Amino acid sequence: MTEFTLQDQIRDRAKQLLASEQVKCVIGYEHGSRGQVRPAFIHQINDVDSLVWNQGCTHNLVTYLRDIKGTFGSDEHLQRVAIIVKPCDSRALNVLLAEKQIEREHIYVIGVVCTGIVEGAGYAGQSSDKLQTRCVRCSDRVPVIYDLLVGEPTHPEITDDYVDLTELEAMPPAERAAFWLKQYERCILCYACRQVCPGCYCSTCMFERDDSLWVGIAAGVKEKEAFHLGRAYHLAARCIGCDECERVCPMELPLSLLNHKLAKEVQRLFHYCAGDEPSQSPLATMLAEGEEFPA
Amino acid sequence: MKYISREALQTWLDRLANDVTLIAPRLVDDILLYQSVSSAREIVLDYTRPKMSAKEVVLPSSEPILFVEKRGQEVSLTEPSSGAQIIFGLRPCDAHGIAVLDTVFVGQEPIDLNYARRREAITLIGLSCPQMREDCFCTSMGGMPNDPTHFDVLLTEVEDGYAVNTVTDKGRTLVDHLNLEEIKGEPAEPIINETESVLAQEHWPDLFADHYWDLLAERCLECRMCAYLCPVCRCFDVQDQVTQQGISYSKYDRLRCWDSCTGTNYRVVAGGHNPRATKGQRLRNRFFCKFHYFPVEYDHSGCVGCGRCIEACPVNIDIVEVMRDISRAFNASQISNASPDAEKGVTA
Repeated sequence: MTEFTLQDQIRDRAKQLLASEQVKCVIGYEHGSRGQVRPAFIHQINDVDSLVWNQGCTHNLVTYLRDIKGTFGSDEHLQRVAIIVKPCDSRALNVLLAEKQIEREHIYVIGVVCTGIVEGAGYAGQSSDKLQTRCVRCSDRVPVIYDLLVGEPTHPEITDDYVDLTELEAMPPAERAAFWLKQYERCILCYACRQVCPGCYCSTCMFERDDSLWVGIAAGVKEKEAFHLGRAYHLAARCIGCDECERVCPMELPLSLLNHKLAKEVQRLFHYCAGDEPSQSPLATMLAEGEEFPA
Repeated sequence: MKYISREALQTWLDRLANDVTLIAPRLVDDILLYQSVSSAREIVLDYTRPKMSAKEVVLPSSEPILFVEKRGQEVSLTEPSSGAQIIFGLRPCDAHGIAVLDTVFVGQEPIDLNYARRREAITLIGLSCPQMREDCFCTSMGGMPNDPTHFDVLLTEVEDGYAVNTVTDKGRTLVDHLNLEEIKGEPAEPIINETESVLAQEHWPDLFADHYWDLLAERCLECRMCAYLCPVCRCFDVQDQVTQQGISYSKYDRLRCWDSCTGTNYRVVAGGHNPRATKGQRLRNRFFCKFHYFPVEYDHSGCVGCGRCIEACPVNIDIVEVMRDISRAFNASQISNASPDAEKGVTA
């Protein structure tokens, strides 16, 4: 099935949903100002034909549900939104559902069978033919949640051996700490990593309280380290690995390494993979009586 | 005009690096930044635009502006000091940005003492851009890729070296003893792109209430990247931080740190009210600040057209596209104020 027909199917369904007033908005992708793809919010049928689907659709649109979750009213039908998700994005939906951030009936999910997103996607003139690292290692082709599935599922056999982590894990602790401090030093605390993350929905981030309770206001390497490590821990067993934090970072911090490390440990300890099911993270639950911490 | 050979430039830069803090385009983990260098070898000469502007040199992302020491009942205050710094390889848009910051911080009374102290000890040695990048639009904002106006010295590449344009007395004291030869030919003119013009500031209020801003902001992530990469955005927050606390002795730093109007809590006031409660209002402020509030206050655009925000925004909020949309919307409203489309916003 070609990309053209996937795009056509998305547009057709978007038209139906808006025409029948089943949704008030379709969150998808459109062409940006300089040839790149960007998130689009389609409110009117006339605008549906600007929706696109191609290998530049990198953004995890689930993050935008944070902005509109307070807008759902009593008239549910009219207030629903449709959202286009790739398999990775769809797992963020499961996280938000489990954490009661969204209600299933408030969203209409257009799931797209995904064969990978290219590097440089989202930025003008930077798109390449090469798939993003996260996509090379991803064997998911079908979203875990959808109301409409667009595309023909395939079942590739790919096993992720976390090769990028092996090198880092092999470093002596002091060397590893030095590596990370050098990365954090470049951080400009623009918080794009947090803002783009569907899992970061706190209304006041603990690392940015007015009273500086946990982290001071200074842009020093200690503050940056506290922010990045703290954020990584808060996302342990919740991060679904879309790597958007790494894509948006203007200073190119390899943030996915932190997240993958934690995902790997969670998998090893709890046999749990964030977003596979709409279930709470094992780190946010308690052991039942008689239950033991897994070996 | 004088001329400096490539070899003589290297020697000169090595000496400057030895004498003062020399800041120049340098690769830091493969990212080009204006940072201090210890020798000319570290300096990248073939580049378009460092990732960050040089704003951080004159207005650091976080800096102590006052040290407070309390011994028993006795309180002493110390102001920080700053040494001589030279920025080499600055692009004209970045020098323009520093000039705009000068207008704000030292252009009128009361001046910002901390900024003034640091700025006075800074010399700007520029390097002309041979051509504009696709996302550059300095020419829309009164700049030029080879504009010497805001430098102390501006170099422009010619065959085998650089033409040396000495602009200020500060520059002259640096360059005078170099024994430079007269240049033979004139440097080539830079390659210019055709760029969008910005709607005159007096017309912007007509579009203040347009639905456009809410629609534009739908995809905004509300990070602060655009403001932090911007050579002109200068908002800051001030907090006192305890660095040592005891019964008879305590120390505090008064810190000034970058802030940005695109952040959710930027405008929150005592009691918790947020006068810019929606994303659209916050993003609108970014553009109104640059193209209306700033021009009204300082008679100058609050943007220098460096294009960094265009390159870096992960969701393609494109300031040139906004300029174009707003001009179109204004022109359309002039043709017909009663058009039914006006209600829907300019992109509808």
